Amino acid sequence: MQELNALDAAVGDGDHGSTLVRGLARAATAADGKRAKAFMRASGGASGTLFGLVLHEIERHLDDGDDLAKGLERACARICDLGEVRPGDKSLVDALAPAAGALADGKSFAEAVSAAEAGRDETRDMRAKCGRAQHVEGGGVGHLDPGAVSLVLILGTLARESVS
Amino acid sequence: MKKLFNDPATMVDDMIDGFVIACPHVRRGALDPRIVVRQRNRKDPDELVTLLIGNGSGHEPIAMGFVGQGVLDANVVGDVFAAPSADLILDGIREVNGAAGTILLISRHSGDVINGRAATMLAEEEGMKVVPLLMYDDISAAPPERRADRRGAPGTMFIYKILGAAAEAGWPLERLTRLGEDVRERTVTLAAAVSPGISPLTGQPMFSLPDDEIYLGMGVHGEPGMGRVKTGPVRNLVEEMIRRLLDDRPIAAGGQAAVIVNGMGGTTIMELLTVWAETVKSLAACNVRAVAPMIGSFVTTQETGGFSISLFEPDDEMLRLWCAPSDTPAFPKIELSDECPA
Repeated sequence: MQELNALDAAVGDGDHGSTLVRGLARAATAADGKRAKAFMRASGGASGTLFGLVLHEIERHLDDGDDLAKGLERACARICDLGEVRPGDKSLVDALAPAAGALADGKSFAEAVSAAEAGRDETRDMRAKCGRAQHVEGGGVGHLDPGAVSLVLILGTLARESVS
Repeated sequence: MKKLFNDPATMVDDMIDGFVIACPHVRRGALDPRIVVRQRNRKDPDELVTLLIGNGSGHEPIAMGFVGQGVLDANVVGDVFAAPSADLILDGIREVNGAAGTILLISRHSGDVINGRAATMLAEEEGMKVVPLLMYDDISAAPPERRADRRGAPGTMFIYKILGAAAEAGWPLERLTRLGEDVRERTVTLAAAVSPGISPLTGQPMFSLPDDEIYLGMGVHGEPGMGRVKTGPVRNLVEEMIRRLLDDRPIAAGGQAAVIVNGMGGTTIMELLTVWAETVKSLAACNVRAVAPMIGSFVTTQETGGFSISLFEPDDEMLRLWCAPSDTPAFPKIELSDECPA
C-alpha cells in the first residue's frame, strides 16, 4: 500500500494505495457476486469505478466461469470509453490492454501477466495525457503509472491463486 | 464556522432521516438507504418511463426534493459534493426500472458522468433498458461551439420537470430522450457569486472574494468561470448577464424565454425577486418576453451568496409541460405569469 501511495505521490495525490486497499478490504468481506460492487462503493471516486469494472469481470470469471479474455477486453473498452483514455496515455490501460490482447491471442495467463508487466514498464517513459499526472511538471515522465502498477499486482495475484 | 450537525460521518444519513419522515411523497429505497424513492402515486414502471438522478449531497433541496409525481421517481444521494458510486446508482436504477425503461439524468460533472455511465453499462448487462441523458447549460464553462463540454447548472431543472411531466403523460423512452436533448439545446445559464459557502466537511469557506467584487460564472461547487466584476446596482449586473446569455444563444425578437432565478443558499427572496424584476426588464429591452418563472433557492451550495439566471426558449408543448402540475416536496407550482410586459 505504501509503495503505491509513494508512486502516486510522485504523479498524483498520493492515495492510490490507500484507496485500493480500502476497496479490497470491503470486497473481501462482501457476499459472493457483490465483491466488485462493494469495492466500487468503498473506494469511491473515478478510480474506484474504473478498477471496479476490472474486478467485476474477474469476479464473473471466478464465480460464473465467464471467459476472462472477453471480460478483460470488455473492461478495457469500458475504461477507455468512460475515462476518455487510450493506450499510450500513461494509465492502467497500458497494462490492461496488452494482457487482454495476449489472452485473446490464446496465450497463457502467465504470458498475459508478462505482457501487462512489459506495458507497465513502458509507462515510465510516457507523458501523461489523462488524470492528475498530466498537470504535474513533466507529465510524470520517469515515474511508473500507479494504476498500471496496481493492475499488474491484481493480475499477478489472480495468476498465483488460479495455479494453486 | 459553526454548523449544526452531529458528526461528519452521519450528516448525510441524518438529513435523509429527517426528509423521509417529513415527506409522505417519498420513502427510502429497499436496496439501499441512500436511495430516495417516490412513494405516493407510484408509476407502473412497465407502462411509464421512470426517471432518476444521482448527485452529491450538500445542494438541497435538489435533487431529493424533486422526487414525486410529475418529476423524478428516485434520487441517489452521494456524500457531500461527491458523486454516488456506480454500484449505488445501479441500485437506484433497479429500484425504479421496468419494461418501459428508465432515463438516468446526469448533470455533467466528471464523477457523475463516469459513475453514471458505468452504472448504465452494468444495468444494461443485467438486461435493463436504461438511457443516460447528459445535462449541461453553464455558458461560463465552455464556448457555444463546445456546448457539450459545459457543466450542469440550475437550468437542468427545465429537463427534470419537462421530462417528468411528459413521462407521466405516457411518452415512450426514445421520444423522451429526444425531448430532453431538445430542451438542453435551448437552455443557457450564468451564475454570479457574492460570498462563499462553508464546506460542512472542512468548516472552511469554499472560495474567497473581496467585499466589493462579484464572481461571474462560478460553478455550483465554486469552480472558476469568467472572472470578477465590481459591485453596484444589481440592475447593471443582470443586464450584463442577460446580454451574455442572449449572445450565447440568441432568441429572436418577439420570442419568449422561461426563466429560472436560482439562489445559491445565502441569498434572500428579496434579492431574488429583484433579480427577476430586472431580468424581465432586460429581456423586454431585447424584445423577449419572460414567462413561467421559477424563483427561489433550489440548487444550493450551503450558504453561498449569489444566484444564477437560466433562460430556456420553449415551444408551446414544452411550455405546457413546464407548467404542468406536480406533487413533490420542493418543486414549486409554475405559473405562466402572463402579466409580464412584452
